[in-house]
Amino acid sequence: MAFVKSEKTPDRPAPLSERSVTGWMRKNLFNSWFNSILTVGTLLLIYFIVKGIWDWGFADATFMAENRRECFDNSLTGACWAGVIDWLDNIFYGRYPRDQIWRIHYGGLMLVLWMAPLWMERVKGKVLIAAGVVVFYPFLSGYLFAGGDKGVFMQLMVTGAVVALIANTANMITGLLKQESLKGFLLRVSGQTIAPDKTQRNILLAITGCAFAAAFIWQMNWRVDAVPWTKWGGLFLTMVISGIGIASSLPGGIILALGRRSKLTVIRVLCVSFIEVFRSVPLITVLFMATTMFPLFMDEGFVLNKLTQVIIAVVLFNACYMAETVRAGLQAIPKGQYEGAHTIGLGYWRMMGLVIMPQALKHMIPNIVGSFIGLLKDTTLVSIIGLFDILGMLRSISKDVPWLGLHKEPLIFGAMLFFILCFLMSKYSRYLEVKLSAGNRH
Amino acid sequence: MTGTRPQGQLASAASSEVIIEIDKMNKWYGAFHVLKDIDLIVRKGERIVVCGPSGSGKSTLIRCINALEEHQEGDIVVDGIKMGKNLKNLDHIRTEVGMVFQNFNLFPHMTILENLTLGPIWVRKMSRADAVETAMTYLERVKIPEQAGKYPGQLSGGQQQRVAIARSLCMNPKIILFDEPTSALDPEMIKEVLDVMVELADTGMTMIVVTHEMGFAKTIADQVIFMDQGDIVEQNEPAGFFENPQHDRTKLFLSQIL
Ligand SMILES: Nc1ncnc2c1ncn2[C@@H]1O[C@H](COP(=O)(O)OP(=O)(O)OP(=O)(O)O)[C@@H](O)[C@H]1O
Ligand SMILES: [Mg+2]
Repeated sequence: MAFVKSEKTPDRPAPLSERSVTGWMRKNLFNSWFNSILTVGTLLLIYFIVKGIWDWGFADATFMAENRRECFDNSLTGACWAGVIDWLDNIFYGRYPRDQIWRIHYGGLMLVLWMAPLWMERVKGKVLIAAGVVVFYPFLSGYLFAGGDKGVFMQLMVTGAVVALIANTANMITGLLKQESLKGFLLRVSGQTIAPDKTQRNILLAITGCAFAAAFIWQMNWRVDAVPWTKWGGLFLTMVISGIGIASSLPGGIILALGRRSKLTVIRVLCVSFIEVFRSVPLITVLFMATTMFPLFMDEGFVLNKLTQVIIAVVLFNACYMAETVRAGLQAIPKGQYEGAHTIGLGYWRMMGLVIMPQALKHMIPNIVGSFIGLLKDTTLVSIIGLFDILGMLRSISKDVPWLGLHKEPLIFGAMLFFILCFLMSKYSRYLEVKLSAGNRH
Repeated sequence: MTGTRPQGQLASAASSEVIIEIDKMNKWYGAFHVLKDIDLIVRKGERIVVCGPSGSGKSTLIRCINALEEHQEGDIVVDGIKMGKNLKNLDHIRTEVGMVFQNFNLFPHMTILENLTLGPIWVRKMSRADAVETAMTYLERVKIPEQAGKYPGQLSGGQQQRVAIARSLCMNPKIILFDEPTSALDPEMIKEVLDVMVELADTGMTMIVVTHEMGFAKTIADQVIFMDQGDIVEQNEPAGFFENPQHDRTKLFLSQIL
């Protein structure tokens, strides 16, 4: 018997349990006796925990006091945040001279200014911008933070950084206003858009040369007082170490991972050994080795300060971990992509840079950000070898005479700080993942 | 070479200039002898169809021609350049030889237009504007100019394969190799791709096509090659090949496939 439906079935509203809050609760929280008891029990537990935290951390807490005694006088059961507040500058900047702290702020602002175009839809050439940050920013901020006299190399790098920062900012402005690159803008203004490539290149080179010369002359007179690294500390120091670690571990990891896949046996063996050695040793060991053993192997007179040694150790250690992340990402790229790139004649580096890496990096974002988070947290280990990073600072509060024995509050404060930083990073990575994969679902 | 062609067949564009010359070429995968004493001469403008059972070495043969695979013995000369260890030569050969794969191998992180302009800009050193213009010309030729801004993942299989053909054409190659370009496609999309390929053949492009589309082979081929177990078993003009196969293995294969 044939059946033919003659009318369209009308839509009906979904059942109550799918639409209303009470319906949802009845279905998910109170659908059986056992589940109801569980729900009520959990709610009670949450209530007591939250109330405990609230009472200790806010209601009974002391925010203003001269010393720990006063905190106790005020309340015996509440937190003594006054100690943390009193030490806030130390926690953030270590023993950096107070009248020089603006340098840290400027350094931070400069980084924001430099990286801002990366988030702007209208500004193109993101890879170049990122490369500029990684290559030049460390020198500019490095001098700003450390100060003192500049060697020739430092003079050149600072000049390069200044030119790069100005060009980057100008490029951002032309991008935002006219949606064109700085290069396009310069050529248009000088009326050379249709000139042959060679002429265009010469004009751009000339402009860059002038900018470089001007910046060089300017920086000769720019001098800030030296602040020895021993005065660096707190969150600032943590950010310096982990920032350098983060910025260099990805490029380092990519190089090591490519080396590991190299057809040249020597390079492959070197990379594999390097990666495996660093990965099988705990970071703290690497740090101890860097600060105690490393100088033994070096020539007399070649003295690196402890901070530099620590940074080198952190960079190498994390590059090796990153190399494995990158390798995993590369393995996810099908062979056909390499072959597709070959058949249009791309050589190895272009194939990697234009076709393979962009796809692999996309796969790797969660793992990369995971490593970054790990790195940020792991840098606190440097407090063990005597650097006063944020953890070192937090722990010194309890040794400061007015706040003797104040352990809990500083560490909880530090934990909250780290939580916020790491949580933001992981949220951002989720967002990136979604955004980047939106365009090309298979 | 022309002789009595069935109706609808394209006139041969083959000249006498030799563009690919393979001489006693042998290839092994480990101990497994994949290609055995292959001899093949392809003239400019010639269209060659390669068929044969699965595993007979068809893909391997054409992958050797654009150096995606290394051969161990014998010579392959493409466009006057002998293939060897010299990487510069390899890159040159790869630029002159386009290839279209069974699974397209488009770059999923780039738009169609970016896929097409990548090679011209980075390898051919074209200006961006010129590259875009060329790309749009070829997208029109394969009849999907309106897809230029989309990503490969948003296109149907047939459209993707046409993009892949356009991507090869943008490099202005002297030869295009096709490795079963329609086997991953749904039946209704096969025709649109074959149509594009017939038009391409019409322009005098030198083509080597691995395919089991025998109707297509009859229409465009100057020569049909039958391979089995690493040997070229039979090579003939399509008329002779299909109507009067000589070798028993060819007969068996044709009886199974037609
Ligand atoms: N990378 C490899 N390593 C080892 N053996 C391989 C490799 N690639 C192919 N082979 C083998 O070589 C033989 C020829 O493979 P090829 O892909 O050239 O066959 P084909 O004729 O294209 O078959 P199909 O019609 O299935 O595509 C097969 O037996 C295959 O198993
Ligand atoms: Mg095959």
